[in-house]
Amino acid sequence: MKQLSFLVIFLFLLCGSSADIQALEKCQICHSKKEIHRAEETGRKVPLYIDESIIARSVHNDKDCTDCHNDINEIPHKVVKKVNCRRCHYTGNPVGAPDGKMYDQYEHSVHGMAVLNGNEKAPVCQDCHGDHDVYSHKTIESKFYWQNIPKTCGTCHMDIYAVYKESTHGRAVADGIKDAPVCSDCHGEHNIKKHNSDESRVSDARISQTCTECHGTQGVVNKYNIKTDRAATFEHSFHGVGLQMGSKTVANCASCHDYHDIRGEDDPKSSVHPDNIPKTCGKEGCHPGASAEFSSGQQIHINPKSEESGIIYYISKAFLVLTVSVLLGLLAFIAMDLFRRAKNARAKR
Amino acid sequence: MNDKKKNLDNREVFIKGLSDNIVKSAVDIVKIDPTKKQITEITDTVTERLQYESSSLLNEAVTKLHPDSLSEMLPEEKVERNFERFGKNFRYQHMLMFVSVIILIITGMPLKFPEFGLSKFIVIDLLGGLHNSTFIHRIGAVGLIIVGIWHVIYSLGSRVGRRDFFLMVPNLKDAADFMGTMRYYIGKSKSGPKFDRFSFIEKFDYWAVYWGMVIMIGSGAIMWYKELFPKYFYDIGREMHSDEGLLATLSIVIWHFYNVHFNPEVFPMSWTWWHGQLTESEMKHHHPLEYEAIIKKESQDIIDQSKSESKGNN
Repeated sequence: MKQLSFLVIFLFLLCGSSADIQALEKCQICHSKKEIHRAEETGRKVPLYIDESIIARSVHNDKDCTDCHNDINEIPHKVVKKVNCRRCHYTGNPVGAPDGKMYDQYEHSVHGMAVLNGNEKAPVCQDCHGDHDVYSHKTIESKFYWQNIPKTCGTCHMDIYAVYKESTHGRAVADGIKDAPVCSDCHGEHNIKKHNSDESRVSDARISQTCTECHGTQGVVNKYNIKTDRAATFEHSFHGVGLQMGSKTVANCASCHDYHDIRGEDDPKSSVHPDNIPKTCGKEGCHPGASAEFSSGQQIHINPKSEESGIIYYISKAFLVLTVSVLLGLLAFIAMDLFRRAKNARAKR
Repeated sequence: MNDKKKNLDNREVFIKGLSDNIVKSAVDIVKIDPTKKQITEITDTVTERLQYESSSLLNEAVTKLHPDSLSEMLPEEKVERNFERFGKNFRYQHMLMFVSVIILIITGMPLKFPEFGLSKFIVIDLLGGLHNSTFIHRIGAVGLIIVGIWHVIYSLGSRVGRRDFFLMVPNLKDAADFMGTMRYYIGKSKSGPKFDRFSFIEKFDYWAVYWGMVIMIGSGAIMWYKELFPKYFYDIGREMHSDEGLLATLSIVIWHFYNVHFNPEVFPMSWTWWHGQLTESEMKHHHPLEYEAIIKKESQDIIDQSKSESKGNN
């Protein structure tokens, strides 16, 4: 009985799929015509042409139109509803559609929350991954091929994209340097949080950690002749200590280097170019009373253990010698005193 | 027991008689007619001195008869007199100083070692964040600056302060005393050197604090008003503040606490910081030269006083 029922299901599936291949051909009767379009009430023409080759190259090339557009059950059909990817991409689905944490992460992300709250402009899966053009992220034409990510995010976040494109990171990405960060390297992918939420990778509390993921690793940074001790020296600085103590007002990496408009110190437009440092340090809420001498032409990231720091290095060394010798001397004195006391006590007995 | 008591009583009566006799002889020598008050004062001083000398002679006699059992066989009577080591002014300076320093260490060390859980606990949980802890640190700093200014005024302006300041200046005897102490520690001599009012150890402590105050207040002030200076002033100040802060803290916890807390002689604490007093035996043991000078001066004063008074009467 059981075997029979399996057979029935198998036959049903077989028939179903063969029927759907036909359905695709049916769809193409209309949708392969380049001039086909739908007129909206506003008068806008919405093209309805679908390039079959796009689907053929996408990861869904073995799927049929109605696998996703499951609300179509007659021809001609009405305006289709937005496709719900979760129909296949759920844990334990039988068709083998990839499923992971990202769906839950998305639901709790700033984008997912906005969608839940009824923001129609907020992105759903298709806005970043494509609708018919869901290519593998390894394909250069994919919307989320690493080099294309800034542009994909930029379709909504246009002003930020404009700034990022000109920044040192943006230019490096355009030049094909894969170690350079795109949006998602700092902000996260499916789990993007509001930038001022504590969970966000770019929040005041966490941004220095996020920058350190690259700027603290020799492997990434040495290649491009960037100093690796930037993260360690920041942590040692009063700003870094304050951050570890939970202060929300101390400067973090982005306070001085900017968020998206990060540029090298040689770039005259950079916030850390020597000419611009007084303005950067003297920001409202930071050191508005800073004198020009305070902030101009100085080393900012000080590493007392490196000879490059000059006098600071020698002061640090001198104090180390002084501290060790004084303490050894005092401890020796105490030891001798105790020893002599013990001897005296024994002699009395 | 009764015999001991009887002996003690006899000795006291005898000492009383002897001191009366001494004073009478003195009056005879200077040939004046002293007031009753003068007589009692002088007699009391002489009695005290005789009591002390008789008890120390008794100790000596006991030691000669039976060298091993000095401490057990000594009679319980003890005529101890206290000496003022630190005046009120100096004790208040010390109190304000240690309150300030404790505040400074508690709020300062966590910023030197931010990675420790205890540091985060102190700053975040105990004090409510960096903003509060740096504010409290500045209160401590003001306390320390006040002590610094106060002490300079005290050392220049007051008689005792000036005397003590000059006694603090290191000299050749300190080098000799240091060598003598080393010889005593390694067993080359039976007793340590005799110290005056300030031993070389105390001089070291004093000048170490002096150095620490200059470095900490100087570098701290630069950091407080960092915007007025080039940034490398701040960087130098911060490095010095951080390093000297650790050195000072360790010196206090190891060296000063050994001397005034953990040393078997004073454990758990010497109370001199509170009452300012040293007992006679402490004086004789730790500052014998000062003690001798005090006793000598007191005897001289008595003689001088009676002399000048006799002149005045004539």
